[in-house]
Amino acid sequence: MNDNQRTGEWPWMRIPVAVAAVVLVGAACGSGASPTPSGTPAATATEAPSATPCTPVEIEWYVGLGTGENEEQIPQEEAVVAAFNDSQDCIDLKLTVVDNTEAADTLATRIAANDAPDIIGPIGIRALQSFGDQLLDLGPYIADVDLSEIDQSLIDAYNVGGKQIGIPMAVYPSFIYYNKSLFDEAELAYPPHEVGAQYEGQDWTWATVRELAMKLTVDTNGNDATSASFDPANVDVYGLDAQFTENDARAWSTVFGGSGSVLAADGTTAQWPDNWRTGLQYFYDGIWKDHFVPNQTAVQALAAGNTFQSGRIAMDVVHQWYTCCVYPGEGTPAVTDWDIAVLPVGPDGNITSKLHADTIGILDSTENPDQAFEALGFLSQSPELITTWGAMPAIESQRAAFFEGLDERFAPLEIDWNVSTLMLAYPDNPSHEAFMPNFLEADSANKDLGSKLWTTPGLDLDAELDAQVELLQGIFDSAN
Amino acid sequence: MSTTQAAIEPLPTSPRRRGGWRAVRERESLTGLVFVAPFIVGFILFSAIPMVASLVLSLTDFDPREPDEIHFIGLANYQQMLTDPVLHESLGVTLRFALLVVPLTLAAALGVAMLVNSKLLAGRNVFRTLFYMPMQIPLVASTIVWIGVLHATTGWLNYGLEAVGLPGPNWLQSTFWVGPALGLMGLWGIGNMMLIFLAGLQSVPTELYDAAKVDGAGSWASFRHVTLPMISPVLFYNLIIALIAAFQYFTQAFVVSNGRGDPDRATLFFNLNLYREAFGFFHMGYASALAWLLFVIVLGLTVVLFKTAGSWVFAGGERCPRWPGRSAGRGPPRVRSATTCGDSVRSPR
Repeated sequence: MNDNQRTGEWPWMRIPVAVAAVVLVGAACGSGASPTPSGTPAATATEAPSATPCTPVEIEWYVGLGTGENEEQIPQEEAVVAAFNDSQDCIDLKLTVVDNTEAADTLATRIAANDAPDIIGPIGIRALQSFGDQLLDLGPYIADVDLSEIDQSLIDAYNVGGKQIGIPMAVYPSFIYYNKSLFDEAELAYPPHEVGAQYEGQDWTWATVRELAMKLTVDTNGNDATSASFDPANVDVYGLDAQFTENDARAWSTVFGGSGSVLAADGTTAQWPDNWRTGLQYFYDGIWKDHFVPNQTAVQALAAGNTFQSGRIAMDVVHQWYTCCVYPGEGTPAVTDWDIAVLPVGPDGNITSKLHADTIGILDSTENPDQAFEALGFLSQSPELITTWGAMPAIESQRAAFFEGLDERFAPLEIDWNVSTLMLAYPDNPSHEAFMPNFLEADSANKDLGSKLWTTPGLDLDAELDAQVELLQGIFDSAN
Repeated sequence: MSTTQAAIEPLPTSPRRRGGWRAVRERESLTGLVFVAPFIVGFILFSAIPMVASLVLSLTDFDPREPDEIHFIGLANYQQMLTDPVLHESLGVTLRFALLVVPLTLAAALGVAMLVNSKLLAGRNVFRTLFYMPMQIPLVASTIVWIGVLHATTGWLNYGLEAVGLPGPNWLQSTFWVGPALGLMGLWGIGNMMLIFLAGLQSVPTELYDAAKVDGAGSWASFRHVTLPMISPVLFYNLIIALIAAFQYFTQAFVVSNGRGDPDRATLFFNLNLYREAFGFFHMGYASALAWLLFVIVLGLTVVLFKTAGSWVFAGGERCPRWPGRSAGRGPPRVRSATTCGDSVRSPR
């Protein structure tokens, strides 16, 4: 019996296959239900809660795209959800927590299946861009909401193409964490804690930081990076790092070059601004020429990428959220005495503190935008959530309590948290995580560049950046 | 089945009898269907339907974040492949890797199989177990261990190389060395291939070796003219499997490069690029087209290998190896085996 005969005996097998194919074609090509129009949110958002009985509307809050999915955070989130449900009868808020590594894919799949949640977050600026087109414009809703306690530049960070896709809940300015023990060992003065202060008679600029970092960089023979005998192949302590930037060339450009954007003001042209070129060259030379910044191989050997924790980084530009991870979860910390310092003036003549921020957004597919916004309002005003996420509140009046908590945690060290507050006045604007056309692809291309810079010596950076601009232009153009 | 047929076929072919035979056949078919139903259902649900779905999706611009915006775009995704430099790069990475890893793993697996098959090796069963044990370790876990072993400054491998005066390369951050590093990692997983080779080696009749010895063959000649032809079907099978595995290479590259093909796209394998398109950029339509391209490439290579098999694979007496340099009457040992030279095969002249 050959294969054809066998097939011929079971003609009925063709039926389910054909049905499946038709169903799939239909599912793939069908238009599905149109999203419900958001109606007139401004009018309804400010309405007083109805005293009349109502049928509860279910609103789903999807957590996992940013922080908030850790085991110890979930009970606190559940408590806030319970408190909201107890506070009214018309909305039944449900919490869904998804593992961070799967959250974006799961959300995309659920959107595709017309089963999208209503509220998503906490989520950072970059991650929010991935779903920017699917988010509800909160502009009409927040028109009558008092946001005076939140800095306008932070609110603007969530304005994408004129659409307000989030309200800042948590902010994380960046500054310099420094290991005091390494400074003491090198007999060098600590970096400044005040904006405008000098360092040993010199203006606090990246050029000053370079000199300082080279003195702090020491090889295994005890020679520092200013010495002719310095061995760059065997570095024991590095002077400077900007850890956890994940190969992001935009982030590095911002740290060392100041605010900028790869997208020109016309919204379509790719560019790499001059101050970013200068900043990136500083960083690249720091790795491969001056050797005070660790390359990718060295980073992996330093506490698996958490370089400052290794005790072998003297200064590290990181965000406020890094208080999470200065000490290891178990064992004796390598860093015992540390503090924070202000960032120097960049090549554009300004101080720039690369800012991260978390928010909660509403998907525009929600069938109940008013109720979703009401729930969002409650969540964004819950300091318990901010605390459990380890975040610095965007609302100014909540910050004192936040820093008191940190003081208790790091006692007997007395960390100068005023530095963090000072740096909040210098956010990068536009954000280094800001919108780009065809965002995911463009972001990936920038990380490809970062990877290349981090692993490859001897590059002509200007040529690389020219090629990058050309590549980005192609990616931007493909979005249209 | 053949016994039943033999019993039934000679019977008179009256309509009634034919009806009975048909009933028996239908009953047998039904029983057979019940037994194979789990596979058929599984195949339809988890292979056939997704394949059809991906074929349909490959003709669209489907983005799961915007399901309502799906459009039929014909062959545009396939056309895009022609001008996609990242795809071409990923194909190059995959091809280079396949050329390195397929022969390497085949040779290593065969070598280890011969080692653990050798009577000279004490504790053969222990070694067989030890060589197979890495297969029990999840790929992600073993890859993470390998990342540590291959680290340029803190890895054991470079410590070892330094100990003998050799400079250790930057295995995982160098665009040149990361391929060989992944190949080295691949050797960790030769356990299955080794077992299949071992089974093949053990099926070679010892009479053939005895006859070769009588003919004056040494170890190499025995291996070249007895072992290799006799295990050629196994070699062929392992070659096909290794080639498919090389083109489907993903997990180790994903872990080593954080899913991005670092350094500088040197580990952006075809499947990793496909994954990035599908789940990184949500270009599901284009990713589906890439999946079909991969299917066609692997199918094509497999067909080519099958076409060449006739010249070097010796199975079931279909073909006997010629003995180069031997004149008529001085052919291979006249020992016949059902698994090599069948009765229909004549001795070489």
